[in-house]
Amino acid sequence: MNRDDADDRSVPLVERDSDALLFRRAAETLTAARFLRDVQRVAADLPEADHCLNLCQDRYAFTVALAAAGLRGQVSLLSSDRSPASLAGLQARFERVVAVSDTPGADLPPHHHVLALRNDPVAAAPPNPVLPADRLIAIVFTSGSTGAPVGYRKTWGALTERSIAAGLRFGMLASAPAGIVGTVPPQHMYGFETTVLLPLHAMAATWSGPAFYPIDIRDALAAMPAPRVLVTTPLQIRALLDNGMALPPLQAVISATAPLDPALAETAERCWSAPVLEIFGATEVGSIASRRTVAGSAWTTYDGIRLLPAGTDQVLVATPHAEPHPLADRLEALSPTEFRLLGRNADMVKLGGRRASLGGLNAILLSLPGVQDGVFIAPDDLDQRPGARLLAFAVAPDVSSEDILSALRERIEPVFLPRRVIRLGALPRNEAGKIPRAALLELLARDAALR
Amino acid sequence: MPPSDLEQDVARLIVESLQLEVDPADIDPDAPLFRTGLGLDSIDALELALAISRRYGIELRADDEQNGKIFGSLRLLAGYIDTHRK
Repeated sequence: MNRDDADDRSVPLVERDSDALLFRRAAETLTAARFLRDVQRVAADLPEADHCLNLCQDRYAFTVALAAAGLRGQVSLLSSDRSPASLAGLQARFERVVAVSDTPGADLPPHHHVLALRNDPVAAAPPNPVLPADRLIAIVFTSGSTGAPVGYRKTWGALTERSIAAGLRFGMLASAPAGIVGTVPPQHMYGFETTVLLPLHAMAATWSGPAFYPIDIRDALAAMPAPRVLVTTPLQIRALLDNGMALPPLQAVISATAPLDPALAETAERCWSAPVLEIFGATEVGSIASRRTVAGSAWTTYDGIRLLPAGTDQVLVATPHAEPHPLADRLEALSPTEFRLLGRNADMVKLGGRRASLGGLNAILLSLPGVQDGVFIAPDDLDQRPGARLLAFAVAPDVSSEDILSALRERIEPVFLPRRVIRLGALPRNEAGKIPRAALLELLARDAALR
Repeated sequence: MPPSDLEQDVARLIVESLQLEVDPADIDPDAPLFRTGLGLDSIDALELALAISRRYGIELRADDEQNGKIFGSLRLLAGYIDTHRK
């Protein structure tokens, strides 16, 4: 970061009126005053630590824990991979980690703290703490190219600035607060920005409870005040439309994590009489642009975000107060604030809102005892077909496919597990030791013909 | 305990709707459906919920899933469907 760009501002925790609704959970209205009171209490209760592994599933509890940790100078670790191996890995990699959860459970890591939020009236107006903009608030994890999760550091100033830009883009600075129902976990960068940070700095309130299946989503929307905004994924949009359940009136639907099929967007707009908008982002840089899917393929960046050309099909994203950052996606800049997606880097696969590197998955496969050679393959229609998953081919004369699969299960996230592990005598590697894509596709075709 | 008719029906529904490569009769009625056992994931959960809604007219809820009432095993899932269907 340039010295000139140093972020020396201070930003309040909440920029809403004290009686403003921030979250709703069943019949409970969780106001800014209640939030600030709970943050103060939890900050006093948190054990001594440097890092807070936030496992809360309830969005209000998650946000209270995040803010309380921030006040205490504890950096929140956010990972949507909750497998025991992954959580243990994070606890081993970082100094003095305490896991914080809203529910007690046998699957919590050994050093943990369970939040005790009490539903008593707020007495006096609690203080609204001001945090330095350069305070490191969270490290958000995504799968890395070596198979180990890579963390991206998020400061309070950068997070709030983006949240305000998103509020502006989606009209959430108007007088009537939007009622947001989000279906993505708060630990995922998209869910974090839209359902946790927006209520603190934009005119929005978030449904706090679970919303995953169609009936959860319908009931949550019904519990939220209008204008209602559904923040979700292409998979859930498709599930809602297939299910055919009537939803309360929507002001907008926002989708991210995977490209939305324009035909699906058109159907959704027709059925729900609301615009369907897409957010483009990545864990590294957060949300940076949006588009209305039916209006065309060009994306427009949020206010304050510019694209810098950086070689063929590559751009750097310039955001205030941070070094320009490269993106994993290939894209064509149409102007400094508009772009078109050209497709993903061939090594990257995305499933269920999670990203993984095929190279990283291959490295994990090759590290298994008894596996002499191996490769993961992504079918071409991975993005479009809900049942589509990765496949793996392995050269492993003395280990069964089932054993390979159960060893992988301990090491990689469920959505990236191969549906099948097919054992072979040898992989079709060329002189350079690489497996050409054509040879992989031939393997797939041969496998399909045998079934 | 041998699988009930409903358990066998649900097993077939799981295999068909998720295009799994197993024989429905081979699904252990007491094994977890997610992670271990059949190794299903969140995308499967949504797909399976749709299939269950279509076949039995029952909507799965995240609350019940988190309480382990739904995907704990084939037997639990069939029991949930049996209790909730009209």
